[in-house]
Amino acid sequence: MADVAKKQGGFGAWLFDPKRRGALLVTPAIVVLFVMNIFPLMWSFGLSFFNYKASSLKVPTFRGLSNYERVLSDERVWERFQTTALIVGSSVLMQLVIGFLLALMFAKVFPMRRIVLMLVLTPMMLSFVSVGVFFKLFYEPTFGIVSYVINFFTEDHFVLLGSPGGAIAGIVIADAWMWSPFVMLLVLAGLVSVPKYLYEAAEIDRASKWRTFRTITFPYIKSLLLLAVLFRTIETFKLFDIVYIITEGGPGSSTETIAVYLYRTAFQFFKTSQSSALAYIVLFIVIVLTNLYLYAVNQRAEEID
Amino acid sequence: MIKRNILSGLMGASVLAAGLGGAPAFAGDITITMAAPDWPPTRFMKEYFDQNYTSPDGHTTTLDMDFIPWPSFYERVAASLTSGEQKYQMIVTDSQWLGAFVEGGYYMDLTDRIKADPELSAILKDLHPALVSAYSTYPHKTRAQLEELGDAPADGVHYYGFPQFPDTYVTYYRQDIFCHEGEMAAFQAKYDTNLPCSYEDWQDTDWTKWGQVGEFFQREAGEMLAGETLSDDFYGIAYQAGKGYDFSTMQVNGFVWQQGGDIWDETVKGAQAEGVVNSDVAVAAFDEYLSMLKYMPPVNQTGQMDIFVIQDLFMQGKVGAIIDWVGLGEPVLDESASTVHDKSAFGPAPGSRQADGSIDRTGNIGGQPFVLTTWNSDEVVNEALNVVKWWLSAETQIEAVANGGQSGLRSVMAKSEYNGLRPWNRAHVEMLDWQKDVWHIPEFFELLTQQQEEFDKAITGQISAKEALDAVAKFQQDLLEDGGYIE
Repeated sequence: MADVAKKQGGFGAWLFDPKRRGALLVTPAIVVLFVMNIFPLMWSFGLSFFNYKASSLKVPTFRGLSNYERVLSDERVWERFQTTALIVGSSVLMQLVIGFLLALMFAKVFPMRRIVLMLVLTPMMLSFVSVGVFFKLFYEPTFGIVSYVINFFTEDHFVLLGSPGGAIAGIVIADAWMWSPFVMLLVLAGLVSVPKYLYEAAEIDRASKWRTFRTITFPYIKSLLLLAVLFRTIETFKLFDIVYIITEGGPGSSTETIAVYLYRTAFQFFKTSQSSALAYIVLFIVIVLTNLYLYAVNQRAEEID
Repeated sequence: MIKRNILSGLMGASVLAAGLGGAPAFAGDITITMAAPDWPPTRFMKEYFDQNYTSPDGHTTTLDMDFIPWPSFYERVAASLTSGEQKYQMIVTDSQWLGAFVEGGYYMDLTDRIKADPELSAILKDLHPALVSAYSTYPHKTRAQLEELGDAPADGVHYYGFPQFPDTYVTYYRQDIFCHEGEMAAFQAKYDTNLPCSYEDWQDTDWTKWGQVGEFFQREAGEMLAGETLSDDFYGIAYQAGKGYDFSTMQVNGFVWQQGGDIWDETVKGAQAEGVVNSDVAVAAFDEYLSMLKYMPPVNQTGQMDIFVIQDLFMQGKVGAIIDWVGLGEPVLDESASTVHDKSAFGPAPGSRQADGSIDRTGNIGGQPFVLTTWNSDEVVNEALNVVKWWLSAETQIEAVANGGQSGLRSVMAKSEYNGLRPWNRAHVEMLDWQKDVWHIPEFFELLTQQQEEFDKAITGQISAKEALDAVAKFQQDLLEDGGYIE
């Protein structure tokens, strides 16, 4: 028994040796990461080469790359990619313009600036579901506030979500409303980092406002703007909640993003392998975008150095 | 030393196991976890179970209902089943899910148990045949096929579910405006026919009159309605026209069937999709459905006019008459939720006038059966079937109906007090006879989603009825050929 205790004590001492303390502390996190992320990721990658359906008892058989071939030759997938690109392009552009203007506004000092700033940041802190439900009710043509206000002038109900263009606009507005403050924060960080003496020198040189902006302000915020573009592009590319709540992908399939289609394929049609293949294609695109994002971060770091 | 410890450990475990085995207080405890949509018919079941259920086998049974909101019900149930967590012993399921989850090995085939149990056989015989066909059979058998096979349980048929809540769609209407003398006279003068006011009037209402009602009651703010000035725009009619789940298919199918068209029929060997789904009759029926949207609240133009939206608009007093499920009727009569709680009445849904003057009201059945899952012990299965028998006993069914539920038992529906229990009961009984069901095959969700998308395009004016049905037919033909349903 004494031997056992000694051995246990020896193991305890070995385990808690300061040399291993770091590894011991990160082990739980690594285990969770492996169980919750890495293993499912690898498992679903494997599934993408079979013909597995989660709702079926049939034994999956190996299909090679046929799921990838099927996904990439599916017209519906390409339509959803186009819709996603349209929403991403419009929404990110809108967020940039609004975020930039807000940042210019908040770069100056004015009464109640802090309170207004806090209010402007609120949408970013709300959940996607809340934002989706708010905007669905705003756009409701019978009693929604948007229709109510427009009805006051036109004496007709305003049906924003009745056409593909209108529905995309509705989603873009909701997404931009939620995330423009994020762009504003980034740009604002750039604006406040511009040394004041540069502006003073420009004023002494009688530089125009445009020239001041182009030669002093813009270089400071350029890389932060790029960060905002990339970060918001990656996030908007995965847009699901707002679309699903406001339009469910309609009218028809005109606002169905690739994320919504992926969800339907996986959890409504139970084409598990096919949806895994599509998920990996989406993941590949996101990885490419992420690398661009990391490149921009590095550029910014070099500039600061 | 170690051997002695193991030995004494084993002995201790044996004594403990023997002791537990001989403790009847634990052996009789059964918990049945049931996945259920969160709405009055299932809430009542839980409440009434807790107050009244006594196990005939002497168990202490707990019904643990997992109430899931309707919009995420399918996804939550499907995720639970396919994840293998084996959480539920019983599930309230849409009839369309039978194929997917029977083929997946999750829903239990009750045929042998029904045949061996005279009480269950008697319940099956007493159930309305439309419900047996829709809620119980997989592979799906039509009512006509079941009648041909003789008394239930019939040979060659596999039975899975019993009705938890049999639902049909009926007309909800505002009695204060439909029975207003001035409005009735004006309607008579304009269309040379009566404005439906009584139940009997609604029995004689076809789609033509439904459209006239829509046109007649479409009023703008400032105009008069039943002697009062409107402060808001008002609409005559509404039925489901939403992109989500099955919120247009259920209504469109009715139009198609009533006019002699059909959907792809899984019960007929060799049935095709192309040429049937997009037949001239089906296109005309869908066109008729679309033609009346212009009289409905503007939300129809967004393709989001689902069963909950029309119920809400009716309760807000913005629509004169809607066609909706009986299951959504209870809140309409709730004083705290509905502005029309004291003005609402119910009638059968309109239908298509036939050459002989009769009205065909064929519709797509709603409601849900409950099923048992495959991983339960014999003891749990027996107790779950005891719960089924208790729920479908005449006494429980009468209580359920009186509290916003519905019955599918013919003996209960024939009781003299039945029609008076809730204001929609008479219409429900009449409509039940007209019910058919949509597909039960495992691929139903894919068929449904694509069809809903195409219908939505037509509803929002992007394509015509013919274009929509051509696209649906082609998609179905390809998918069903791929799946081996069509050769």
